[in-house]
Amino acid sequence: MENIRLLLVDDEENFRRPLVKRLTKRGMPPIEAASGEECLSILAETPVDVIILDVKLPGMNGIETLNLIKKQYPATEVILLTGQATTRDGVEGIKSGAFDYLTKPIELEHLIGKIKQAHEKVRRLEEQKKESEFRSKIEQQMIATERLASLGTLATGMAHEINNPLAIINEAAGWMKLILKKKELAHIPRKEDFEMALEKIVKSISRAKRITHQLLGFVKKNESVFSEVNLAKLSDEAIQLVHREAVNKDVKINLEFDASLTSIWSDPYQLRQVFINLLTNAIHAGVAGGKIDILLKEEDNMVSVFVRDTGEGIPQENFDKIFEPFFSTKSPGQGTGLGLFVTRGIIERLGGTIDVESRLGQGTVFCVKLPIHSEIKDELNGEDHFFDLLNKLKGEKSHDPNTDTGAGR
Amino acid sequence: MIRIPTRVLVVDDEQDFVEVLSLRLKETGERVIPAHSGKECLEILSEKTIDVVILDIKMPGMDGIETLREIRKKYPLVEVIMLTGHGTTETAVEGMKLGAFDYLLKPAEFDDLSEKLEAARQRKDDQEERIRKAEAKLLLRRSGDI
Repeated sequence: MENIRLLLVDDEENFRRPLVKRLTKRGMPPIEAASGEECLSILAETPVDVIILDVKLPGMNGIETLNLIKKQYPATEVILLTGQATTRDGVEGIKSGAFDYLTKPIELEHLIGKIKQAHEKVRRLEEQKKESEFRSKIEQQMIATERLASLGTLATGMAHEINNPLAIINEAAGWMKLILKKKELAHIPRKEDFEMALEKIVKSISRAKRITHQLLGFVKKNESVFSEVNLAKLSDEAIQLVHREAVNKDVKINLEFDASLTSIWSDPYQLRQVFINLLTNAIHAGVAGGKIDILLKEEDNMVSVFVRDTGEGIPQENFDKIFEPFFSTKSPGQGTGLGLFVTRGIIERLGGTIDVESRLGQGTVFCVKLPIHSEIKDELNGEDHFFDLLNKLKGEKSHDPNTDTGAGR
Repeated sequence: MIRIPTRVLVVDDEQDFVEVLSLRLKETGERVIPAHSGKECLEILSEKTIDVVILDIKMPGMDGIETLREIRKKYPLVEVIMLTGHGTTETAVEGMKLGAFDYLLKPAEFDDLSEKLEAARQRKDDQEERIRKAEAKLLLRRSGDI
C-alpha cells in the first residue's frame, strides 16, 4: 500500500503516544501535533492526506481547526475524534466538511478502516482533478486544431477563387502595358501616370499571387521527396539564404551542433522552408546588433532544432495566434501572415512538433522536434483520427448525465 | 525578319480571362481564337488549323483533362499548354503524362507563357518538318520505283 500522509492532532499525550505507536506498527506512521495551531503550522509546510483531529483541544478547538483546514486545504480529509458527551460536535464537523467522526474510546481497526477510506477519497479526487485537467487541455488543443483546420480549408478555397480574377487583372494590366509601348502612343499626355499606375497594379498582383500560392502550397501534398538530411548542412544553407537580410538588420547568426549529430530521413526542401521561415522571423523580430542562435541536439530518436533570437519577444495576447493563418504583426504587404502557419503544417506532416517560448524584451525560442525517421503522415488519416478522438470526447460528455440518471433509477 | 504568328486557341470558361489574354497575345503578334468550353474547343479544332491550345483544367462540363484526351486522339500534332488555378500540380502532371506540352499556374507570368508558347510551337514545327521530310522520301522512293 502506498504511504498515507497522516497527521494526528490530540493534546493528551497519554492518548496520542500509544496511538502513534500502533499506527506506525500498521504501516502508517503519523506526524503528531498537540494543538490546532501546531496542526496548521505543520500543514503550511508538509502536505497531508488525512488528519485525525480531536475535537476537544485547548486554545483553538477542533471545529475551528477543521474549518480553517477545509478553507485552506480543501483536498485534505479530516476524521474527528469526539468524546462520548460530544457526539454533537462530530455531526457538526461532518456538516463543516469532515470525512467522518469516531467516538472515543476508539477501536484501532475501525480507525484504520476510516483512514483508508478517507485516503481513498483523497486519491480519487486527485485523479479526477488530473484527468479533468488533462481533458480540458486536450479539448483546448482540439478546438484550436479544429479551428485551424477549418480556417485552412476556407483560406485555400478562397485562394482558388481569387486566382481566377487575379489572372484576368494580370492579363488586362499586361495588355495595357503592351499598348502603352506602341509607337502611336509614344506621345500621349500623362503617359508616365498611366505607366506608374500600371506598375502599381502589376506589383499588387504579384503580392496577391504570393499569398494565394503560399496558401495553396500549404495544401499541396504527396509531393514530398524523402532523403537523408544533414540538418547542420541544411541550417548552414538556410543561413546563407537569409544572410543578406541579416546583414541589413545587423543581426548575427550562430550555428551550434553536436559533432555526432546523425542525419535524419525527411524532406529536405520542406525542411529548408521551415528553417528559412524561422530564421526570417527571428531576423525580423531582432533589434539591430542582436543575435540568433541555432542549436541542433539529438535525443531519443528525435533531433531538436532551437532557433533563439534576442528580439522583442511575443506579447501574451498574441501567443495563441501566431500559428494562425493571416496573423501578422508586420505592416500590410510586409508579411503574409502565413509563415508560421505553413511552417507548422510542414513540421506536423513530417511527424514533428513545434513549440515556442518567449519573454517580452528578451527574445523568443522556437523548438522544432523532428523524428530521425519520419514518414509522411497521411493527412486524411490524421484527420480521421482527430475526429474520432473528438467524437469520443463529445460522446463521453453527453453520456455522463445518462449514466447518472440510470444509476438513480 | 518577319515572325510567323502562332495560331493559338485559348480555352477557359472565364470569358473575361479569355478576352484579355487574347488581346494581349494578339498585341504580341499571335493569331488567337477564343473558346469557352471543351466542346467549343473541339469544334474549332475540327474547322481551323491551330498550333497551340492554352487549356484551362477546371471547366464545367467537359473538363480540361477530358478535352486534352480528345485533342491528343484527334489532333495529335496540336500542342497543349495546361493552365491551372489549383496549387496541386497533380492534375497538370497527369495532363503532361497524357501528352500536354507543359503547364502554368494562374495567374501566370506573361514571359513564362510566351516562352512556353514559343517552345510548344517549335516542337510542332519540328515534328511537321520531320513528317514532310519523311513524306518527301516516300514520294522519291515511289517515283524511283516507277
